[in-house]
Amino acid sequence: MDQLPVGISQRIRHEARVAGLHDHAPSIEMVERRRLQLWSIMILVMIAVGLATLGVSGATGNVSWVTGEPLVLAGGVGVLAIAFCIYAVEKEIHLHRLSRLLVDERLLSNTMALQIQMNTALFNAGKALNSVMDLDDVLDAILANALELLGAAGGSVMLLEDQTVLRVVAVRGEGILRDARIRIGSSLVGRVAQSREPFLASAEVAAADVGGALDPAVEVGGAMCVPLVNRGQLLGVLTVLAANAAEFTDDELAVLTLFAEPVAAATAKAGLYEAERANVAKLLESDRMKSQFVASVSHELRTPITSIRGAVAASRRTDIPAQREELLDVVDRQSGRLQAMVEEMLVAARMQETANRPTMQQIDLCALIRLTALDSHVAGRPVDLELPQSCTVRSEPEALRRVLTNLIENAHKYGSDPIRVAVQVADDQVVMSVIDAGPGVAPDERERIFERFYRSDPNGTKPGMGLGLSIVRGLVESFGGTVWVEDAPGGGAAFRVALRASFVMEQPAEAVHV
Amino acid sequence: MSERPKILIVDDEPDVLLTLRMILESEGFDPILAADGETALRRVDDEHPDLVVLDIMMPVLDGWFVLAELGGRPIHPSVVVCSAKSGDADRARARDLGAAEYVTKPFEPDDLVDVIRAVLGRNHVAV
Repeated sequence: MDQLPVGISQRIRHEARVAGLHDHAPSIEMVERRRLQLWSIMILVMIAVGLATLGVSGATGNVSWVTGEPLVLAGGVGVLAIAFCIYAVEKEIHLHRLSRLLVDERLLSNTMALQIQMNTALFNAGKALNSVMDLDDVLDAILANALELLGAAGGSVMLLEDQTVLRVVAVRGEGILRDARIRIGSSLVGRVAQSREPFLASAEVAAADVGGALDPAVEVGGAMCVPLVNRGQLLGVLTVLAANAAEFTDDELAVLTLFAEPVAAATAKAGLYEAERANVAKLLESDRMKSQFVASVSHELRTPITSIRGAVAASRRTDIPAQREELLDVVDRQSGRLQAMVEEMLVAARMQETANRPTMQQIDLCALIRLTALDSHVAGRPVDLELPQSCTVRSEPEALRRVLTNLIENAHKYGSDPIRVAVQVADDQVVMSVIDAGPGVAPDERERIFERFYRSDPNGTKPGMGLGLSIVRGLVESFGGTVWVEDAPGGGAAFRVALRASFVMEQPAEAVHV
Repeated sequence: MSERPKILIVDDEPDVLLTLRMILESEGFDPILAADGETALRRVDDEHPDLVVLDIMMPVLDGWFVLAELGGRPIHPSVVVCSAKSGDADRARARDLGAAEYVTKPFEPDDLVDVIRAVLGRNHVAV
């Protein structure tokens, strides 16, 4: 007959009281001791009663069952014995019940402790996920929690390096190779990644996993591998190893599967965070370059204005016509320089706004180069030419001329003489090169120098706004070409512009329109 | 030393050199010119100018180098830095390196003349 479904501890207290135990929290051992005492007393009572009965009958010999006094005595003893037995059995029933309840309680509290432990581990994993943003730290913290809970010898998190290969990113304990790379589909981990199903491997299977993520030099027990999946996407595999030839159970595999969730979430979150951080870094860099641009522009504008104002002030102080003429030339030159800068900025801004379709036409690149070189020579920037007779490309003459001018100016500014302009024709491609004899461009700057506002000379000892090469790239790409920089064979920098050849002629140019 | 104060103008812009030379001449100075830091230091040694008008951003040896080099000497002409750099950090750096004055480009030529006169006056050079 069961009691009302009250709390187990209440029932334990009730049974203990009924069974005559006055301890508030009786232990199983105490109950068993009490039961043993009870049984011992009962057996002793039985023996005593038996002996007493035998003693009585032995002393009297023939006993009258109707009137004999010893009979009354024996009867009294018997009744007392029966009463004691009833008392003892009653106590025994309660003690037995108490004992069962105590076993239940111990079982329950053990399970609960385990549950709490697991919840704590998962909570810590979640906490690690939220508090640390560095993926390596998050994965390490989660792995540490999982290993502690499962009492595992070692474990690892492997993430997809690309679509086919997994790479170790976090390792704890022993038995896992730290620099393992696993192809999806091969070995234990690779097969789990392929099937996306958790896998429980016996020590025998784990030991046979040659060429996998497990270290053959370390003797370990069973292994468990759980795929890390976030929003249907495989991210990697979580692996743990049992110590000393021990095996894992299905329940433990279920626990590990629970851990896979925060690991997958952390990985996905860290990926997003990393992308965001890269984005912010890019924005900050762009902001920095724009500030630098403003500084460069203001400096570049100030220099010609200084000359113009100086020329005006000087011309007010002189009456000599030749000197005045000279000063007017200064004003003319420097205002032209200002105008060129404004135009350069406008070109850059326009390129940014729309992908302007240039008006393409057949032009003779070599004739254009010769004309530009002449201008450059006049401007005090001589160049040597290595050109075929002619070669025709489809391009926009004004834009191409600006490209070449900017490249020659750039070579004079950052390289050193002699500056050469060469044209090579290969198949359907024409490559125009501007080569200087300067220090060349460092490999890590070869892409960056084409960015808007980027200056390889941030201290600004060289004039410029950081627009020239970005304009070059924008224009070249607008007519379908490519531009890059490399080391010139004899040292120095070689800026190369590849354009599609329209058709190549080696005879005197007739179709030259520049 | 001639009776007119000798001013060394250092700038890599030929037009700045040209116009400043004319202005300073008309104001009664004796201007001499240098287009880079190396020439500037040589002319200081050869000609002993009373004052140097020094640009900062120049190729090869820049104005900072010249300023530091002059500042390290026991006797050197006063330097008026004349630069398009307008930041406080640049002014502080010039002051620390021993520049007497700092003028930002573009400047009013009369103002530069006033600054030059003031610095020479401090150094007791007859203007």
